[in-house]
Amino acid sequence: MSYKNIWSQAPSAEVVNTPTRFGRALGKYAVIVSDACNNCLRCVAICPENVFHTQGSKLAVPRDHLCLGMECSRKTNRCVSNCPQNAIRVGYNSSSQALGDSRWTPELLMSAWHMAETGQLPKSDIEYRVGATEGGFDKLRFRFPKKPPKRDIDVESIDTSISLNKRHDGRHEISIPIPVYGGGMSFGSISQTTMLSRIRAFAAWGSFTCTGEGGYPEALYPFDDHIITQVATGLFGVKEETIQRVKIVEFKYAQGAKPGLGGHLLGSKVTEAVARIRETVPGSSLFSPFPFHSVYSVEDHKKHVDWIKAINTKALVSVKVSTPSDVDMVAIGSYYAGAHIVHLDGSYGGTGAAPDVAKKNIAMPIEYAIPKVHNFLVNEGVRDQVTLIASGGIRTAYDIAKAIALGADGVVTGTPELVALECIRCHNCESGRGCARGIATTDLELVALMDLAWGTQRIINLLSCWRDQLRQILYKLGLSSIKELVGKTEVLSHLDYSSNVQDDDMRVAGK
Amino acid sequence: MNSKGYFADRLIAARIRDLVQTDHGANVKREDEGGCGVTGFASTIPLAGRHIFEPSIRMHNRGNGKGGGIAAVGFDPDRLGVSREVLDSHYLLNIALLEPSCLDALKEDFITPFFDIAHEETLDHITDYRELDGLEVKPPDVWRGFIRVKPDVLKTFIQRHGLGGMKQGWAEDEFVSRNSVALNRRFYSSLGEKQAFVLSHGKNLMILKIVGYAENVVKYYKLDDFPAHIWIAHQRYPTRGRVWHPGGAHPFIGLNEALVHNGDFANYHAVCDYLRQRGIFPQFMTDTEVSVLLFDLWNRVYGYPLEVIIEALAPTGELDFDLLPPDKQELYDVIQSTHIHTSPDGPWFFIVARNIPEENKLQLLGITDTSMLRPQVFSIYDGEAQIGLLCSEKQAIDATLKSISSEDNRFSPVADRYWNARGGSSSDGGAFLFDLSPNSEGKICLTCRDKFGSIVEIEKRKPLNIGETLVKPSDSELLNNELLALLRNKRPKELFRLFQNRASSWDYNTLRWTISQIGKHARRDRELLFPAIESLTILLDRKIPLGDKKRSALVRLVHDELNTIFRSIPPITETLKLGYVTRIDYNTRGALRPPLAIEKALIVDACDFEPEGDDCDSVLLADAYKLGWRNFVVFDLRGQRFEGCGLGPMTDGVKIDLYGSSGDYVGSGIDGMEINIHGNAQDQIGQIMKRGTVVIYGDVGQCFMYGAKGGSVYVLGNAAGRPLINAAGKPRVVINGTALDFLAESFMAGDPLNGGGFVIVNGLTLNEDGVISFLPKPYPGSNLFSLASGGALYVRDPYRQMVEEQLNGGIFAELSVDDWLLIHPYLIENEKHFGIKVNDLLTVDGELRKPNEVYRKVMAVPLSVLTQIPSTDDSVWDSDGAAA
Repeated sequence: MSYKNIWSQAPSAEVVNTPTRFGRALGKYAVIVSDACNNCLRCVAICPENVFHTQGSKLAVPRDHLCLGMECSRKTNRCVSNCPQNAIRVGYNSSSQALGDSRWTPELLMSAWHMAETGQLPKSDIEYRVGATEGGFDKLRFRFPKKPPKRDIDVESIDTSISLNKRHDGRHEISIPIPVYGGGMSFGSISQTTMLSRIRAFAAWGSFTCTGEGGYPEALYPFDDHIITQVATGLFGVKEETIQRVKIVEFKYAQGAKPGLGGHLLGSKVTEAVARIRETVPGSSLFSPFPFHSVYSVEDHKKHVDWIKAINTKALVSVKVSTPSDVDMVAIGSYYAGAHIVHLDGSYGGTGAAPDVAKKNIAMPIEYAIPKVHNFLVNEGVRDQVTLIASGGIRTAYDIAKAIALGADGVVTGTPELVALECIRCHNCESGRGCARGIATTDLELVALMDLAWGTQRIINLLSCWRDQLRQILYKLGLSSIKELVGKTEVLSHLDYSSNVQDDDMRVAGK
Repeated sequence: MNSKGYFADRLIAARIRDLVQTDHGANVKREDEGGCGVTGFASTIPLAGRHIFEPSIRMHNRGNGKGGGIAAVGFDPDRLGVSREVLDSHYLLNIALLEPSCLDALKEDFITPFFDIAHEETLDHITDYRELDGLEVKPPDVWRGFIRVKPDVLKTFIQRHGLGGMKQGWAEDEFVSRNSVALNRRFYSSLGEKQAFVLSHGKNLMILKIVGYAENVVKYYKLDDFPAHIWIAHQRYPTRGRVWHPGGAHPFIGLNEALVHNGDFANYHAVCDYLRQRGIFPQFMTDTEVSVLLFDLWNRVYGYPLEVIIEALAPTGELDFDLLPPDKQELYDVIQSTHIHTSPDGPWFFIVARNIPEENKLQLLGITDTSMLRPQVFSIYDGEAQIGLLCSEKQAIDATLKSISSEDNRFSPVADRYWNARGGSSSDGGAFLFDLSPNSEGKICLTCRDKFGSIVEIEKRKPLNIGETLVKPSDSELLNNELLALLRNKRPKELFRLFQNRASSWDYNTLRWTISQIGKHARRDRELLFPAIESLTILLDRKIPLGDKKRSALVRLVHDELNTIFRSIPPITETLKLGYVTRIDYNTRGALRPPLAIEKALIVDACDFEPEGDDCDSVLLADAYKLGWRNFVVFDLRGQRFEGCGLGPMTDGVKIDLYGSSGDYVGSGIDGMEINIHGNAQDQIGQIMKRGTVVIYGDVGQCFMYGAKGGSVYVLGNAAGRPLINAAGKPRVVINGTALDFLAESFMAGDPLNGGGFVIVNGLTLNEDGVISFLPKPYPGSNLFSLASGGALYVRDPYRQMVEEQLNGGIFAELSVDDWLLIHPYLIENEKHFGIKVNDLLTVDGELRKPNEVYRKVMAVPLSVLTQIPSTDDSVWDSDGAAA
């Protein structure tokens, strides 16, 4: 008898319906059934979204997150108007209105949950494309032609893959089937279950996930071929062994959310496990300095890259930088230093650990940085040899497509995967025992709130839905490959500078 | 009125008056660049331009072939077709003609009306630039004229600007400089299509630049054999792609100075504003141009002495300021507050080549920024000829010396001294200069001084003349028998002792003969190979009494002999000559195979390997390791990097010996192996080192053991800036010399008494003969142990010279018995490597003391900022930083 550890394998990338792990999912609408209900179960038969279901012979608590809203419910053949007891009321769910923030609005959260559960777009009128920040990607909108351009394109055959080695320099030729890979979230900042869920989901999709700065726990070893290991300024947990395990090494020069700043991990948090992985001493506070102390110029940078290339003679090198005003120079410098991937990290991303003063005042918004770098590289004649990746606040498939239309080849995400795992953006990751939903914590009891298979599938579903949406967007634009979208800014409108921009909701505009 | 600064207001007013109407555009930095390779030397004997090649080639990886330039100072008038008088009195104007047809118009507008021309020519160059490898853009034609301002023109100029009473030479300088600015404005900066610009206009000084690597300047303009006293060169790394003209290449000019620069600064715009307020408008839009404009302004307009200029560029910081004498503090205080916005802020290293006609002096000057963020090495050789060199990397110095000494026996391939400057310090001011001026007998002599004017002394010893024929010494037979016996009995240490006891009484001939004899035996008898290599290696590693002979001469002889021995080992391709060792070089690298039978060690001739990339010898080592090799000797290194990298985890039992100029990142990330660096080591050694041993028989460069997690490292000499920064875990290090600033910043090495890490600083120095003396202060700088959260420092400080002010987050503690028990074994090991006896370390004023009277411990204090969660913490998980 042989023992097969299924956890060390990536599942297939098929969508499997994966409902909430908590009793009742939050939705935009609340469906309340009063005591007047006589369990006639007519509603169960009527509802097209299976909101109503039974438990035994009785009506169970409705799955109101699936409800399409008041308008539907009042139609003559729908639940409210057909309830003989007049026991059903449909209204807004006030709890869900309290979720999130302007970047991740309640509707964005719920739409992501829906995608993670079903792998489909929500059918209700929930907003799934943009947030309410009055800026950034929220101010950009696609200009879909009224009729898709006449090209014989089969939606299913639209190519969403991107190449990560455009230098073709004898190192790994890597192409990922979706233009997304997972950004660095270090061990310790999220639970091992969360970390593995992301890694397994991206691996299922043939893509990659970055380890972050916190080292390379052994549980990740089975996924070596789908992992990007990070070399950051603190050099914690960076060893030749980890650099040699992987196919891509990422240098983190700066983080979009706090350019020019380092970080520190308090001594009390340097537990045995964290210290072992980071090769430090338990209880000793850890610092990440803001620069690489050995890199103060482009030729230092090249030397630094050469070093990693000497350790792993096949790996690709990604250089992650924030978006200062001369980000184009940084990008071209990285190209000359031998990087395969230039990764621009904008400031909309995650982290509340970064001081506001840094987040809001340093560096350039990502939607400005991407075209600046893209155009510069085009003019320098090297754009086709660099893979340009954008990150920092990518939430939806629309954000991905917008970043690509602005000039990126692909994107890196982080938060959306956590939302798929039912993060509610409460911003309390660090308080008390950590994340109340067991996502960003190392507290064993809280970690146990989530199951690895469940987490993996939720993210697979989300990625699947993104891929479908990207295909739809490309289809509507008459493109057969995501590569054709790169730098095609004419397909975007900025809402501040254009009027009469049509809605770009792919559900409304019809296929 | 004899002081230059007297006329500053009038000079500035005049510049602004003339320039105010013209449009100068915004001070946009158009020519962005990261870093570069810089090099320079000053020699008492004029040296041919080809000697600037070698270091330039060695530093290709610091440039990208998109801009290179050279400057030369101090010429032979005959070679320029002028008299000595003309060379000394006339301005040597070099104009780059990007559009050769503009010459007539240019001369008509800017030369003929104002200047008398003693001699003019268009520079000779090779016919087809495409013959030169890597040259893709045709270098500009260069018009050269030896010029003086016409007397009436100068008179009008002086009257018009109220410069009466000014020394005539100064007014003429100003005229020349202003004329070049106007010329550039007309033919360069105001145009979309650039036509021409002034390369240089100083006396006895010229600059040439191209789009390409610096050595091609020399080749293209046929300067291979052209001699000059001072040469400087620059490899540029512009990050903009399509460069079609060399306007942005270094060096840049003031008047009689040329400056090259490695680095960049953050306050470019502030400095530009400052210059603009003084009627100076940068025309080439680079940091470097702005730097030399500052230098020129402070030197020629404000009349600052050099020391003040250096202070204004690189202000003395923190504790070092407090250590200055009171009068200096007062002066520096004024300078610093005046120049608070104009000191170039950022990582930079300047090399300036100057002619100072009024003092009859040529000067080569190197200045580092206060934080020493760019690499820099100074060196000096004082033999029959004297030469001072400064470079970004030591191997560039070695390459220059090798090139020069291969042609001229008055020089040596090994310098007498190599050192780093301590930026913004009270000890040397972060700047050294090499002055060339005639002594009372008219012979040109070299003097090296620091910022404060203190002379860098080199002990006068007899130089070796390698050209002399070797003869058998009188007692040769006896000596030979002794050598042979010791080699046969495998007693390399005793052989070393023989040298230790007798070398001081030998002449150079006997020393050379003895060394060559060891080599001869090694080549003849396979059994004697190892003892011979071992004994010669000890001679490299340890200093011995040499009497009137130079240490640099011994190092040269031993190196040459070792190279000969290594090269005599059969190559890997000759499998019939199987022995204990086999040799592989760049050409035979394809023949790499697993070790056969009795083969023990792979000898790698590094000479032709690339410094990085797939053709770097470090990649070969990693491949060889995978095939089963465990012992490596790498010799004749010329700055190749990364040895020891890429072998992966658990490399216990692997041993690598490095000879020659080893490069950056050696031993970074190693896990278990042993590396011996026989000589000085470069920058970033032992970065993220995990386990294993590195022994450095010399100094070590910047960022040594950055982010290291463990391992034992022994350094015979000094460590440059930022050693052990961000090191965590349990690294254990002995530094016998001292360290430049920022030692063990953010040290996170736990409790040393409980498995954590530590650094021992002995603060000693060895003279030419290996006699130990202790530095006045074991660690001179501040910023020791800044923000450290763990680990400890053990400093030999019997007189309690170290003070609280040097620490920033650490506290002094009494050395406990446990501490001593912890460090004692490392000092014993240190004694084994370097012969520095523990008892000598414990001896103070001739008396053996207790360890706790000699060593002091510095340990981390729990800083409140590190132990409390900030009250405003609204933190979410950190998306990928260390701060979880």
